[in-house]
Amino acid sequence: MSEGRPIVEVQDLGVIHNGTTELEKISFRLEGGETLVLLGDAVSGKDALLRVLGGYAKRGDVCSGTIAFGDGVALPAAKRGKSDLRVVYLAAAADAPLHPHASVVSQLSRVIARRHGSPRASAREELRIALERFPAAPPFADLKKRPGELDAMALSWALLAAAIAQAPQLLIADHAFGDLTPRSIRAIVAALMAEQKRLGFALLYAARGLKAAAQFNSRVIVLRQGKVIEEGAFAKLASGQSHAYTRTLFKALPRPLDTPPGRNATRGEPLLQVQGLDLLGAKTKSGRGRDGITFELRRGASLALIGEEGSGRRALVRALLGLDNVASGRVVLDQVDMSILSAPMTSRLRRRIAFITGADDALDPRMTLWDTVDEPLRAHLRLSREMVAGHRETALKRVGLASYDGRRAVATLSPYDKRRLQVARAIVSSPFLAVIDEPLRGLDAFAQSILTELLEDFRRQEGPAFLIITADVGVAQALAEDAMFFKDRKVVERGPLRDILKNPKDEETRLLIEAARPVTD
Amino acid sequence: MTMATTASARGGVPSLHALLRIAGWIGLGLIAVAVSLSDFLATAPANATAIGPLLAPPSADFRFGTDILGRDMLSETLHALSATVRSALPATVVTLLVGALFGFVAARLPRSLALTLRSLVGILASLPALLLAVLVIGLTTRDWAAVAAGLSAAPFTFVRAFDRARIEERATHSEYARATGISASTLLRRDLVYEFSDTILSSAARALAAVTLILSTVSFLGFGAVPPHRDLGLMIAAAKPYFLQAWWTAAFPAAALTLLILFARLAAGLDEGERA
Repeated sequence: MSEGRPIVEVQDLGVIHNGTTELEKISFRLEGGETLVLLGDAVSGKDALLRVLGGYAKRGDVCSGTIAFGDGVALPAAKRGKSDLRVVYLAAAADAPLHPHASVVSQLSRVIARRHGSPRASAREELRIALERFPAAPPFADLKKRPGELDAMALSWALLAAAIAQAPQLLIADHAFGDLTPRSIRAIVAALMAEQKRLGFALLYAARGLKAAAQFNSRVIVLRQGKVIEEGAFAKLASGQSHAYTRTLFKALPRPLDTPPGRNATRGEPLLQVQGLDLLGAKTKSGRGRDGITFELRRGASLALIGEEGSGRRALVRALLGLDNVASGRVVLDQVDMSILSAPMTSRLRRRIAFITGADDALDPRMTLWDTVDEPLRAHLRLSREMVAGHRETALKRVGLASYDGRRAVATLSPYDKRRLQVARAIVSSPFLAVIDEPLRGLDAFAQSILTELLEDFRRQEGPAFLIITADVGVAQALAEDAMFFKDRKVVERGPLRDILKNPKDEETRLLIEAARPVTD
Repeated sequence: MTMATTASARGGVPSLHALLRIAGWIGLGLIAVAVSLSDFLATAPANATAIGPLLAPPSADFRFGTDILGRDMLSETLHALSATVRSALPATVVTLLVGALFGFVAARLPRSLALTLRSLVGILASLPALLLAVLVIGLTTRDWAAVAAGLSAAPFTFVRAFDRARIEERATHSEYARATGISASTLLRRDLVYEFSDTILSSAARALAAVTLILSTVSFLGFGAVPPHRDLGLMIAAAKPYFLQAWWTAAFPAAALTLLILFARLAAGLDEGERA
């Protein structure tokens, strides 16, 4: 137990990498049992801090300042040798930290064995014991699978168990849980904090977004371009921010108890009518389809489909767009029954549908930035080259990509830029329906705030109906007025989101709302 | 850290790979120069006999030596290299059109038809390309040797282009595009512009290596070039009776052939052991 003992003290740490200043004179002290969240985007300098503390500085890093580990003396960061302190690194499952062709258990037990200098068999046993400490974790036998065969949550549990099995004194977690659903984050953070209380290790958590940071409710350092711009307890920062950048970051903080916007009084005619859509596939013994999903989406309205992964939200959207067949049900889009349309007619109808998703492979990585925006215009309309360029420029300006080289390949863009490019492509399509699937996934808090504003602006100006797929009630709250909550491919609750947030009737709904709430509330 | 180590290891490989590809293209460029200037570089016209003593070893006068008819081997090798390349180029075009382009388009045909076509061409690809070439020459004439070589190399190229196009067709971005009403023809155009144009050079280099090998082997076996028009395969075949005593009669044409194929394969970015 090292609770209360100094674990690491950083004094005026600076990192210059190949002439670029990545970190400027940062100082902090971390004791056993304490948690410090580093909040910032990809170029905030937290990566530089983590790699210097973790002892894996890059070639070309020039470090200044001192670092003291444990009770030891402060040593220059540039000359720091290997510390006796057990520093353990916890990566995000989304970053694919394991080799895809070897089993999870073999890779993690090798890491533990190397750490303890113990035989592989006993390391394997350590991993099993650590994993079994988490009731929500997958069974140990599942770890015999390869990383790609486990879902992100199961892999996150395995990585956490491996980190705990190494008996860390300082645990460095690099955006380890940020890409999970709010409910998963809440569960895994609670488990991690319980282990921290038991073992007394210090935790340094680098966060891009606020979802995980909100669950730790600990001390936070906000970094921007290598400098500390704000510091304090999370609850205090959440209630008021002194720096404009921090204010933008905290706009992304989910606050499901705030009142979401009410229904738009000017909503139009029905756009999408779904009757008895059966997502469960099989028919009942009587031969009739079971009671399927029935709902209506009016022009300009916004409906959130909320649920965990595999709850049926995406299956519903795929079915109603005709991408997958369903056992029974009827979908009427823009007054046209989709089931009687030929493939070319279905394709014509889909021209007025836009997709904005959190999947970074939703855009063709080979295409250029300009071609990506031009394609819907060229494919669907006979416009002159000048008109296409005009529409493209307007859309790119609105999303803030107009200054980029239009011949840049999509593959070279950051996830945030790809997301903005999807919005630009949607803008030029003038859709009547926009399907928005986990739009903020994997983005840092700043990018989340900006993208949310872009989506709101897109809806305000182009006026499409929004169909939002998310596991995060906070996202739904920002973008939708109505909601349907899903569990096991069934709708468990539906209605105006404002009413559901005030008074959830189903247990699943209550859990989803609870998970999105910061622990400070 | 494991990730960092892996990343640095991954980071090293492409640079070597790229260097080898550049070396391949430089090599092909030098061969192209040699071919276009062959009439100037060669000291004797093609097939000119009694230029020097019979079977003279390499010397200051005859750098590659002479053959059994007293032909200058340097001049003969340059002329034969030129003949080989001039046959291989149209054969490469045939391979690209029949193999790569057709394979790319065939992948977008209705699923059952596309997969049937893929299976049939797969069977052709499993046959030795040399036998296919000999079969086509047998059904036509020797004048069609280039077309025969191109056709016999096409099945491999077809399968490769078809499989790549299928992967693209099933990619997430293609599904999203279809879901927003982008037509199949637009998607095909997109793939032709980006995928085909990106890979056309490497496909051409790969095809060049394949058809050169086939053409030379066909000539070596006596189904291809006919004297007095000699290519590298025919030169090596002509050296068979006496190359144990006069190694230079086979070694220099063989070296020219090896370099041409090696450079083409390096330019194509072929991995070790990968077949054309």
